[in-house]
Amino acid sequence: MTGSGLSRSRPIVASLAVLLAASGCSVAGADPIGGGPDALRVVLPEEPPTLEPCDASLTATGRVTRANITEALTEREPSTGRLEPALATKWTRDSATSWTFTLRRGVTFHDGSPFTAAAAAFSVKRATDSGIDCNVDGYIFADSEFTATPVDDTTLRITTAKPDPILPLRLSFVEIVPTSTDPDSRVREPVGTGPYRIDDWNQGRYLRLKRFPGYWGQTPDFAAATYVWRAEGSVRAAMVTNNEADVAIGLAPEDGAGDRAVEFTTNEVSYLRMDATKPPLDDIRIRQAVNYAIDREGLVTAVFAGRPTGQLVAKGVTGHNPRLRPWPYDPDRARELVAEARADGVRTDTTLTIIGRNGIYPKAAEAMEVVQDGLIKAGLKVRIKMLDVNAWLEYLLRPFPADTGPTLLQAQHGNQAGDAAFTMGQIYGSEGAQSSYGTDALDTLIERAELASGGKRQQAFADAFAHQNDKVVRDAVMANMTGLLALSPKVRYEPDPATNDEMRLADMRRAD
Amino acid sequence: MLTLLRRRAVSSVVPLLVVVLGVFFLARLTGDPANLYLPLSATPEMRAEFAARNGLDDPLISQFGDYLAQVAHLDFGESLRTAQPAAEAVLRAFPATLQLAGWTMLLAVVGAVVIGSLAAYRPNSATDRIASFLSSTAASVPDFWIAIMGVLVFAVTLGWLPTSGTSGAAAWVLPVATLLIRPFGVLVQVVRGAMGSALSAPYVKVARAKGASEPRVVFGHALRNAAAPALTVAGDLAVGLVNGAVVVETIFGWPGIGKLMIDSVLQRDFAVLQAAVLLTALAIFALNILVDLSHALLDPRVRQRAAV
Repeated sequence: MTGSGLSRSRPIVASLAVLLAASGCSVAGADPIGGGPDALRVVLPEEPPTLEPCDASLTATGRVTRANITEALTEREPSTGRLEPALATKWTRDSATSWTFTLRRGVTFHDGSPFTAAAAAFSVKRATDSGIDCNVDGYIFADSEFTATPVDDTTLRITTAKPDPILPLRLSFVEIVPTSTDPDSRVREPVGTGPYRIDDWNQGRYLRLKRFPGYWGQTPDFAAATYVWRAEGSVRAAMVTNNEADVAIGLAPEDGAGDRAVEFTTNEVSYLRMDATKPPLDDIRIRQAVNYAIDREGLVTAVFAGRPTGQLVAKGVTGHNPRLRPWPYDPDRARELVAEARADGVRTDTTLTIIGRNGIYPKAAEAMEVVQDGLIKAGLKVRIKMLDVNAWLEYLLRPFPADTGPTLLQAQHGNQAGDAAFTMGQIYGSEGAQSSYGTDALDTLIERAELASGGKRQQAFADAFAHQNDKVVRDAVMANMTGLLALSPKVRYEPDPATNDEMRLADMRRAD
Repeated sequence: MLTLLRRRAVSSVVPLLVVVLGVFFLARLTGDPANLYLPLSATPEMRAEFAARNGLDDPLISQFGDYLAQVAHLDFGESLRTAQPAAEAVLRAFPATLQLAGWTMLLAVVGAVVIGSLAAYRPNSATDRIASFLSSTAASVPDFWIAIMGVLVFAVTLGWLPTSGTSGAAAWVLPVATLLIRPFGVLVQVVRGAMGSALSAPYVKVARAKGASEPRVVFGHALRNAAAPALTVAGDLAVGLVNGAVVVETIFGWPGIGKLMIDSVLQRDFAVLQAAVLLTALAIFALNILVDLSHALLDPRVRQRAAV
């Protein structure tokens, strides 16, 4: 009897070991991030949930699909803001509500079918007028209505219900797919016209693209690209320094990319949204005091990476006003303004709540502590409430939670579309989805700007930003944020403000 | 034995239902997924449409009823994030975690038996003191810290191992080592304690007096009696590995159930979260039953009680 229990359990242990050893092979070896000198290895913070082309305005999807797998009719040059030809070679505005696009000849889809005006019209309709809930529909087109009609193989006519001066810009977000694409449900692996096609997507592990030999444009340097994803920034940085990856994005300075790190200005701007409907924030002097009390230079040198700025859109976006400077740090002026308001009976002893969001940018909580310190020195009462994304979203979007008292919301805005129309209405309009306060005068300026085109449009939006800054002071804009990526010695790549949303593999060149 | 099995299976049903219920309602308390899935500028109509299409506009109770009915037909719903069946995502992720946990427990148990027995064999020796110190340290360091330090030391500084991923045997080392440390530390202490009292028990003296060899005394006689408490603790530790897996899989990009759970919580992907939790709960119940069965194999008293 001695040892019989052990001898009985021995086969269990043995068979467990065999099972593990056998099954071990199925995970091992299934992750080919390697791929030789001709393949580019990219590590992302998260796996794209889908590669559905009409969800390309989602960062995780767009940075893989846009301009790599699928292409649009037009494309915006992120540094200059100019709109360049892509699958359309030129476009003209025939009347206030009608446009004609001339399409590129000799373009084929990855499945071999030719790119025609019919495919373009189909793609536009699929993205904007179907039941599949495209992200691009809500983000870029909101409630605008239009019809796309193929005139002949290389001519597309689009008519809009209302005048839409930036229609060609909006179309830079519609990725073109062949008419064989399912119009009624989302696709996981799209067919496009881009320089790369999907080779193998092993969900949860990697996504591999390979060069499309029939591409109409210039052949990219790398024959293939493998994407993997790691949530931890320090691991992403370590993968580049350890020669496991060539490109790592979404890094923070403390992730340790060392001299492999490349800094670039993004189009993200951090700001605090003041709830100007509640005392004491309903008094413009208090809102000005908040602006004077924030040490923006201190924030960007000691807390997060960026450049102080005075407006929500970065350079290169239509409507950016070069005249607007960041508010100066002037604690004395802030104190005076608060004292003045108090003397007039404003309830400056009401506690303001900073609604912060964990991880919105590196050291998000520390940044709010710096702000809190400045406001307290100015004579205000402030507490901080740090929330996770979903709880925070309840404060960001209408309808706002009731009974919260006066709040300052920690927020960040990135205008990736390149026109202030995608910023102004929703953030500063009286009825904007993310707006807690607006004025009739500002609404009028925004509406006028939205209908203008060309140089007038630039001026009209710039005026609206100036009016917001001088007369409304609804928020405290802090900084234009800096992004960080890491590159291996193998790759030459110059990131631009759109890099976070759009990483063009064709722009990545071999260093040798 | 069958009675024991049947009784444990039946008594698992209620806790399982509680888990399903809890996850269902707690997940829905965390916020409206429309905020995450629709653009910030989405109109109220788009939000209403989204809720209707995903069945999120019904009262919670009827949503839960629908869900139970679905599950009864083995339909676990569709992922909001990827629009694929939730069951598919979960079944794809589960083996990766199972392998990670399996290797970890195997190495932890084998290592702890050897080290713990050595320490108990010579109490207060240098071996014993080093083992006690290291194991209590190991039992108390956080997974997160070990994982990041492991990457920095062994991948970045020394370049011996890959930072992350699943390719090749070397990729297993850091995740397994990270997960291993705590169960190993705890088990060494348990084995040492149990072996200590077993080695001083009368039957060991009898065995020695009869002239049994020392390895046979330690691994044959004493270990068998020390195995029962160690097994119980090992079972609990294996259950606890699910927590560790969340951290370890997220850091190392391991495509397992822990990472899937964290992703689906962050993405409000209710169907996937529910399916992942349900499967994990089932696995834990199965594991507990296995532990009980092995207990019964090792200890005749358990068998007798079960037979009553």
